[in-house]
Amino acid sequence: MTLIEDTAVATSAPVTRPRRRSGPREGRTAFFFLLPSLLGVILFLVLPIIASLVLSFTNWKLLGKPAFVGFQNYVRLFTADPQFWTVLRNTLFFTAEYLVLNIIISVGLATWIASLKRGQRWFRVVFFLPTFTPGIAVAIVWMLIFAPGGFFDFIMKSLSLGVPNLLTDQTLAMQAVIIVSLWANVGYNTVLFNAALDMVPPSYLEAAKIDGASAWDRFWKIRLPLISPTLFFGTVMTAITSLQVFDQIYVMTRGGPGNATATLGYAIYQRGFQNFQMGYASSIAWVMFALIMALTALQFWLQRKWVHYDN
Amino acid sequence: MKFTHALAALALAGTAILSTASYAQEQVNLTWQMWGDEKDTPLFQSLADLVTAEYPNIKVTPQFSGWTDYWTRLPVLASSGQIADLVAMQSMRMPSFYGVLEPLDSFIAADNFDKSAFESSIISGLSHEGVQYALPYDVGPWLMFYNRDKFAAAGIAEPKPDWTFDDFKAAAEKLTSGDDYGYAVQAFDFVAQPIALGAEYFNDGNQFDLTNPGYEAAVGKLVDLVAVAKASPVFASGAGAQTGSGRFAAGNAAMVIDGPWSLLTTQASVGFKVGVAPLPRGDGPSRYITAGSGWGISAASQHKDEAFKALKVLTGPKAAEILASAGRALPGRLAEQKFWYDVAAKDIAGARETLQYSFEHSTPFRLNESWNEFENLLTQYLPLALNGDNTTDAVLADIQSQLP
Repeated sequence: MTLIEDTAVATSAPVTRPRRRSGPREGRTAFFFLLPSLLGVILFLVLPIIASLVLSFTNWKLLGKPAFVGFQNYVRLFTADPQFWTVLRNTLFFTAEYLVLNIIISVGLATWIASLKRGQRWFRVVFFLPTFTPGIAVAIVWMLIFAPGGFFDFIMKSLSLGVPNLLTDQTLAMQAVIIVSLWANVGYNTVLFNAALDMVPPSYLEAAKIDGASAWDRFWKIRLPLISPTLFFGTVMTAITSLQVFDQIYVMTRGGPGNATATLGYAIYQRGFQNFQMGYASSIAWVMFALIMALTALQFWLQRKWVHYDN
Repeated sequence: MKFTHALAALALAGTAILSTASYAQEQVNLTWQMWGDEKDTPLFQSLADLVTAEYPNIKVTPQFSGWTDYWTRLPVLASSGQIADLVAMQSMRMPSFYGVLEPLDSFIAADNFDKSAFESSIISGLSHEGVQYALPYDVGPWLMFYNRDKFAAAGIAEPKPDWTFDDFKAAAEKLTSGDDYGYAVQAFDFVAQPIALGAEYFNDGNQFDLTNPGYEAAVGKLVDLVAVAKASPVFASGAGAQTGSGRFAAGNAAMVIDGPWSLLTTQASVGFKVGVAPLPRGDGPSRYITAGSGWGISAASQHKDEAFKALKVLTGPKAAEILASAGRALPGRLAEQKFWYDVAAKDIAGARETLQYSFEHSTPFRLNESWNEFENLLTQYLPLALNGDNTTDAVLADIQSQLP
């Protein structure tokens, strides 16, 4: 049955539609239809981006008039700021650990949900719930759980486990942030990957099963390659958002204890809105932008090695 | 033709006269931005109504935002020209924000306004480099709040105004057992308590000097109380400013450092008797810093004269009486402080003696434009010393290296 359907789809696929070239009149109409959102993009995206680039070459303190200082902010960032390299290292550490765990857990959950005979929809909703809970609210609840003398400490004490308080420990604080980030965001990728798994043609899996491929082989050699475009999308998006991590850190640790959880996103907030060094904060924002661009470009370059596009 | 010209000229002159006449009576609407929440609205509206009662052509509209948001929004509103005419300001934030306020000295001089009716430490707290930028509505020194029931149960005498740090330490240790602590340290304690012990965090040039031996020793005393004597829980960097008060209110800690601005709300929300004492002193004489808040006129206001009239009413005796009786503020006006002592705080043991003792021994609160940064760094870095990951001296050196 499915085989017949597939061949039917395959034969009808190459539909040749006459390519229409849009004339200048239509182009103009299209332009006017696009104008409202174009204006929005220019006003709220392009202009602020340009403004922040300009600001990064000034010493604007939010109040008063800015003065141009050339590359002074960038020089200070890379040579004089005692915190910058730690902040960069923390950001990359968070991204690496969080990204790997997020992808592994969400692929695992997605595969498990896909294998269920019933209740798939319920599990999808359950795992997706945290995604549409406000991040700040999630972080506040977890902060209270992890706070010194809080629920987590109580559980650890009851189990006689000598785990120190997560939020006041230099090495464990980042792990607490990662746990909360995973809890809040794994659901999105889970639903994404689960949808992709459902699109894998059952005929391929049946054929492989008949040929004697084990469940393990079917996962690694058929399902994973077939969902690799979605996997790639999920990885890129997760990497970008994790490089920008802010909410959880703002609520749970404020970059501390010490500088154990200070990341680029938090450093921008701290310099800009606590210390009122808008120019300096803008220069950090541009370094973050460059970093995200570079890492995303790297991922696009690497995708040739592992992402399979069917046609 | 000439006739019409004359008519037009007459009409023009008429409107000119009319408009000047209406200008004198012009209705002026002033906005008044302030931190607080919805439940404060009626109280502050009643203050705004006092202004209209005195000056019928001036109407003041209060606008509230939460405490934390207020300070994030203030510079944004100021730089985008949306700042209100009357602006609330806290003494500790004056060095960062005096630029958004109009200097009041010329108004004060022209009006023969009497500044001596206010507590002197808060008048200087709301000025910057000798220029007055705001008039106070409240004032208060940092105090030690203590749980009287716990003191009585442990058989410890309640603190006297001139008690020492050793007395405090002994009480904190004695009140600590199991999950109950004698004291709950908070980030700001590392400012207020070292001052009471006679230490300075600034050098003579008003710049941070956190590695001077006096300040290191004073901070070390508090750190030891947490890290060695375990008489206080460690605070986490994410919530260093509030957790101690929460523990105190929950009956989980017997002492906490706070101010009169939260004394009455604390007493109202707890099931035990709250007492207050001055901060414990060191070997030398006592000295205490005070903070407070007030209202100033935005430098961008179009109605500065009317705003000053409104300001005089809002910080005047009647307004002070309203805020004091409601327990919202210990007035900056000395004469009206009695309403706070006699009405709002009448059930709190030691309130009047403690506060008057603290005011008598008040010392100027030294601040500079990096103050905000300093407080944030204390909250972020001190947990390392409190949980023994690093020494006090190393943590202070680290904070110092990040300050200008």
